Amino acid sequence: MKWASSLVVVAASLVGISVGSLGHAAAPLPAAKAGVALDYEFFKTRVQPVFLLKREGHGRCYVCHSNNNARFHLVMLSPGATSWNEAQSKQNFELIKRVAVPGSIDSPIVMHPLDEKAGGHPHHGGGQQFESQSDPAWQTLKGFVLGEKVASR
Amino acid sequence: MRSKHLISGFAVLGAIALGSLTVSPLDAQPASKLRIIQTNFGGDSVHIIDPATNKVVREIKGFETVHGVIAAPDGSRIYFSSESENAVIAVDGKTLQRIKSIPLSGNPNLIDITPDGKSIYAAIALTYDDVSEFPTVKAGPTGGVDVIDTVSLTKIKTIAMKGGVHDLNVTPDGKFVIVGNSRGGRANIMSVVDTKTNDVAWTLPMDPAPSPMAVSKKADGSTDKIYAQNGRDNGFQVIDFATRKIGQTVTLPDISGQEKNPFGPPAVSHGLMVTPDQKTLVVISRGNSALYTYSLPDVKYIGVVTLGGKGAGWLVLTPDSKRAYVANEHTNTTSAVDLATLKELAVIPVGFVPSRNAIWMQP
Repeated sequence: MKWASSLVVVAASLVGISVGSLGHAAAPLPAAKAGVALDYEFFKTRVQPVFLLKREGHGRCYVCHSNNNARFHLVMLSPGATSWNEAQSKQNFELIKRVAVPGSIDSPIVMHPLDEKAGGHPHHGGGQQFESQSDPAWQTLKGFVLGEKVASR
Repeated sequence: MRSKHLISGFAVLGAIALGSLTVSPLDAQPASKLRIIQTNFGGDSVHIIDPATNKVVREIKGFETVHGVIAAPDGSRIYFSSESENAVIAVDGKTLQRIKSIPLSGNPNLIDITPDGKSIYAAIALTYDDVSEFPTVKAGPTGGVDVIDTVSLTKIKTIAMKGGVHDLNVTPDGKFVIVGNSRGGRANIMSVVDTKTNDVAWTLPMDPAPSPMAVSKKADGSTDKIYAQNGRDNGFQVIDFATRKIGQTVTLPDISGQEKNPFGPPAVSHGLMVTPDQKTLVVISRGNSALYTYSLPDVKYIGVVTLGGKGAGWLVLTPDSKRAYVANEHTNTTSAVDLATLKELAVIPVGFVPSRNAIWMQP
């Protein structure tokens, strides 16, 4: 929570942004852990589906994060497509590195959508997507930043 | 949701009150059909609140990431702008079933309706979907205002503008649309659209651009002042519509630290509205999770109430000018506030990230 508190201070102090923009002032990322790497195949096959999944009571991550200019961004699906193609997945993999730090579960992609009561950040523009750390989708995000590979599941 | 809209609703309420020998809309409960529609930006439903009981009386599913909401002046329809569908969704006021989803030119934010109910104006924000210079993701040229004809339920025009649009207001007389070109693009202007031609009539340089805005009217119904927040400052500015001059700048009084909500940005103060009786300006602060009132036309500070929820992000006022319903985005609740006493009457649980809300008189 100390990290979350610093995020609050930094975010609150950086207000010189375009009005109404969702380009929130970016808080510093936590430090990466040596020897841990993000796995592309795990991202493509396990993480990306989380962003497209319609979960009861919630909006999909994809809806906002493909439109706005938040730090976490996903490329638009091709017209009529229900998932990203290989080239788009590789772009998403590059983009998610802005919020996914190898070896750190304090990464924004992990903590930002998690309910504060479960240890997450106090506010996410898309609401508390994950009520607890036992949520399988949240576990997938956590596994990704910790370097999990497809074969390990 | 706008003053002129509330006035229309007030007229309907007046007719109902006369017919049933009741005195005021809120006193007339439970016979009153006045409702608050609360959207949930992070959710997949909208909630309908009965102001007589301050309880949710219905939840309508199937509205993922809805942004704006407005009811037809006669209550026969409710219109939602949907960010998941890039459309305005028309809903029948009796059945609460979809009539039509109207495709838009881009990603919609706030919507408003003319007093005659014939036209809807939809703010179109910039969409960040251009990866031609990847890894930079740029916005496409989609900002502006879409005009929808409610008879044919079609988009009849896109008014292209510099900068994306987050908020807009149809003036009480229905002659103009006040547009805040604030959603990226560094436009730094306020645009005024003539509803006869649906073209930009004039612009006013403002840095930052205004958003959201509220509009007051003169005794003859014409536009008097525009009260404009700007996302950066915890306050608002006063713009004289006739002279096109920016006058007073007001900073909201601070509150004690422990009552503050530190997650104010990106728009620390987001939501203000003129009461239908034109006597009070009601302003909310996301950063302070509080509601402030100012007397009009002198813009003199009256008082503040800190809210039970956090992240006040939008509000609507009842037609009798007595209450505000404030969406507490960060704690998934809507606060009912008595404006005369500045007392919070209820904190009503709703969906994830409650955002825009509107008054609706059930048909």
